[in-house]
Amino acid sequence: MNSTVMWITARGLFGRRRFLLLLPLPVLVIALAVLCRWLGVAPGNWAQPVLIALGLAVVLPVVALIVGTGVLGSEIDDGTIVHVLSKPLPRWQIVLPKLVVAFGVTTLTVAVPLYVAGVLAESVRLGLALAAASAAGALAYSALFVALSLVTRRPVLLGLVYVLIWEGLLGNIVSGTQVLSVQQYVVTFADRMAATTLFDGQVSVTVSVIMTAVIAVLFTLLAIDRLRSFSVAGETS
Amino acid sequence: MTTSTSTPSSTPAAAAPVTSAAGTGTAGTAGRPAAIELAGVSRWYGNVVAVNDVSMALNAGVTGLLGPNGAGKTTLLHMMAGFLPPSRGAVTVDGEPTWRNPGVYRKLGLVSEREAVHGFLTAYEFVLASARLHGLPDPAAAARRAIELVEMTPAQDRRIGTYSKGMRQRTRVAAALVHDPTVLLLDEPFNGMDPRQRMHMMTLLHSLGDAGRTILFSSHILEEVEQVSGTVQVMVAGRLAASGDFRSIRRLMTNRPHVFAVQSSDDRALAVALLRHDSVTGVDLPKGGGITVRAGDYGSFTRALPRIALTEGIRVHRLLPSDESLESVFSYLVEA
Amino acid sequence: MSTSDQLTAARGTGPTPAGPAVAGTTSNGAPGGVIHDIGYQRYTGVRLGRRHVVGALYAHSLRTAFGLGRSAKAKIFPWFIVGVVVAAAAGLVAVRAQIGQVLLSYAQFADTMSWLVIFFVAVVAPELVSRDLGSGVLPLYFSRPLRLVDYPLAKFAALATAVFMLLGAPQLVMFLGGAFTTDAGWSGVWDEVTDLAPGLAYAVLWAGVFSAIGLAVASVTGKRAFAAGGIVAVFLMTTPIGGVLSVLPSVTANQLAGLVAPSSLVQGTGIWLFRDALITEAGTGLDTGGFGPLYGLVTVVLIAGCIAALIARYRKAARR
Repeated sequence: MNSTVMWITARGLFGRRRFLLLLPLPVLVIALAVLCRWLGVAPGNWAQPVLIALGLAVVLPVVALIVGTGVLGSEIDDGTIVHVLSKPLPRWQIVLPKLVVAFGVTTLTVAVPLYVAGVLAESVRLGLALAAASAAGALAYSALFVALSLVTRRPVLLGLVYVLIWEGLLGNIVSGTQVLSVQQYVVTFADRMAATTLFDGQVSVTVSVIMTAVIAVLFTLLAIDRLRSFSVAGETS
Repeated sequence: MTTSTSTPSSTPAAAAPVTSAAGTGTAGTAGRPAAIELAGVSRWYGNVVAVNDVSMALNAGVTGLLGPNGAGKTTLLHMMAGFLPPSRGAVTVDGEPTWRNPGVYRKLGLVSEREAVHGFLTAYEFVLASARLHGLPDPAAAARRAIELVEMTPAQDRRIGTYSKGMRQRTRVAAALVHDPTVLLLDEPFNGMDPRQRMHMMTLLHSLGDAGRTILFSSHILEEVEQVSGTVQVMVAGRLAASGDFRSIRRLMTNRPHVFAVQSSDDRALAVALLRHDSVTGVDLPKGGGITVRAGDYGSFTRALPRIALTEGIRVHRLLPSDESLESVFSYLVEA
Repeated sequence: MSTSDQLTAARGTGPTPAGPAVAGTTSNGAPGGVIHDIGYQRYTGVRLGRRHVVGALYAHSLRTAFGLGRSAKAKIFPWFIVGVVVAAAAGLVAVRAQIGQVLLSYAQFADTMSWLVIFFVAVVAPELVSRDLGSGVLPLYFSRPLRLVDYPLAKFAALATAVFMLLGAPQLVMFLGGAFTTDAGWSGVWDEVTDLAPGLAYAVLWAGVFSAIGLAVASVTGKRAFAAGGIVAVFLMTTPIGGVLSVLPSVTANQLAGLVAPSSLVQGTGIWLFRDALITEAGTGLDTGGFGPLYGLVTVVLIAGCIAALIARYRKAARR
């Protein structure tokens, strides 16, 4: 695992303003959880909107999108990818460290507030379950969005299509699409690990585990392959 | 391995088929592959042909890749650097293909045209990262050496975002040199540099070239190429129009008259005498004195002039070819 | 001597419809330079006024919103959304023709399509606003007879029109379907019209609020990807807050919960204005208590505030 690549990626991520976009969302989750707990709202009432609708359905994918497209996409956009490409590194040694950084930052940003919210909602077990589930989701989402950065020139837009339309709109209306939605896998994981009555997973655990693994591996391989054939045409491209 | 350059067969008022002058196009000695070799390389995007059947072999020394904007220079350089696959033909560096071959970067350094650097790193960190990514045994020492080579040592601990354009350029050159590559590719390296920085960069490139490295840089500014190297590869509309020493190229274009500026003790008499000679196609007497002579045949005119002057008893003070600049060579090629 | 001969020769050639060539002379009397007259003339005709400038900007922005006059890639997203809403409307018409029941009233249709409207605004607002900001062409705009406030207002009008068309077109489809399949003759058609009118007015409300918010967020950055992400984040963040507020123990908080999220804000205002168009079954829909007017007021303030922010942003951007 190439530490220099990880170091440059991490510094690039934290040195940009877009990183600030990440902060309001986790803070919001914690603030709402604290507010509800303080005002004595029954967890059964606020768990769904805060933990699932906001936490797992919005904060996790959006943070993963911003970070996942940032680790590779921003370098492609401003052309600094050339510096890391013109080194005698096998391409997987470039993709994997970036993926690790994306996964790490996303998980940290999402798992911590969800843990706090879960503890406030019910118990430490729920908190840990939510944190672990969001880590699994972060893995799948990061692989997906890093691969998107290499496949298309507008990864953020396509990522938004996936999150908003596929997972958000269709996932609520057409139950068949839930089998292909990372969000549902994450909810299932959390439900299974915490055994809670606050919310229910819609997809079976086996399917979730297999699909998460498949997505993570498949899109990582796709990203590595695309990076091998990455062409830079010059200014007029 | 052949050293033929493609003849601009479709160009109308074509120069006589240009073959490379001695020094640039020779194949590798004793069967060793040339440092950079292109064999029938073409690259197209749909209907647009960016590079059209270019073949060249480059070895140690500094070569200028010359051409107007849109001639395909950047495309060619990116193919040599392994960032673009050729649609046809083969691009090899030291015998190895460049596309999909990260190992080739051990011998290759690239300074691209786009000014993209991580602004949040300092120059030292940037070059050090480059050294580490190359897997050098002592990255810190190599980084310091490279920074010293480009004379960036005093500013190396400031963030790159605070640098001037020339300093950023030099930093990128340092990062490209840190692993001591045998081949260095630079895309428009003098863009936006002031004359002092340009001179410094030219000296640096020359010293690197003299040390045995193969250096190819692209430019569309003729004065730069003139001063850095005498050997050029001229690209026009995707084709290689000429290769070699540009003065030799000039002489090979026999259908264009050479223009000379002559200053003598008796201009008019010399003018009349010259007009009698076959090689002279025209004579002008400009306002400031002297004669402007247009000669069709370089060789016979230069041989004839002293004889004529001697016969007429005229003293020639000065004889200058006035259109042997790269500018005029270039415009002849482009217009053709 | 050849140069001066060339100059005098050139002066004679070329069309000279009006005005002589201008020749300069050097101090010793020989001509130094000549400006040849090749027929270029300054435009002295009628110049259309500010209204036409703004109208042109509006029309151009509206065309950009739907990708007209641009490459095929720019048409994909907007027309995909248009296709989805029209298809949904057609589906509703078919269902209504079959079972004679109205599943969604015109106004309720707009509510159902809220996700798509958010997505449309997230795709189109950056195209309208962030592109100009990021590529630095604002000085070109403002060096024309275009006042500073005209630019953001024209863009807002264009985006609002585009969103209105997005919601209005399927409503029109539903109207045509209802009008042609009604068995009550002209009075049936008139009923449809009276149902359609509040639906269209509701669509105007949606258009105003969402365009204002979308443009205000998009004008913050010059990068389209960030702008799109920002718009989506703003809309997505506010909905769960509203959800949380609606489950708080206080009834007032529940009734005010809709103010926080734009979609529920518009819904609340719609319920206040056209109650029957939105609430077709008792007990459903947003509960706004007596706060209907407050919702209306907040809607107006929000639109005004976003437009003011937009204008302030351009004041700052144009000064740079």
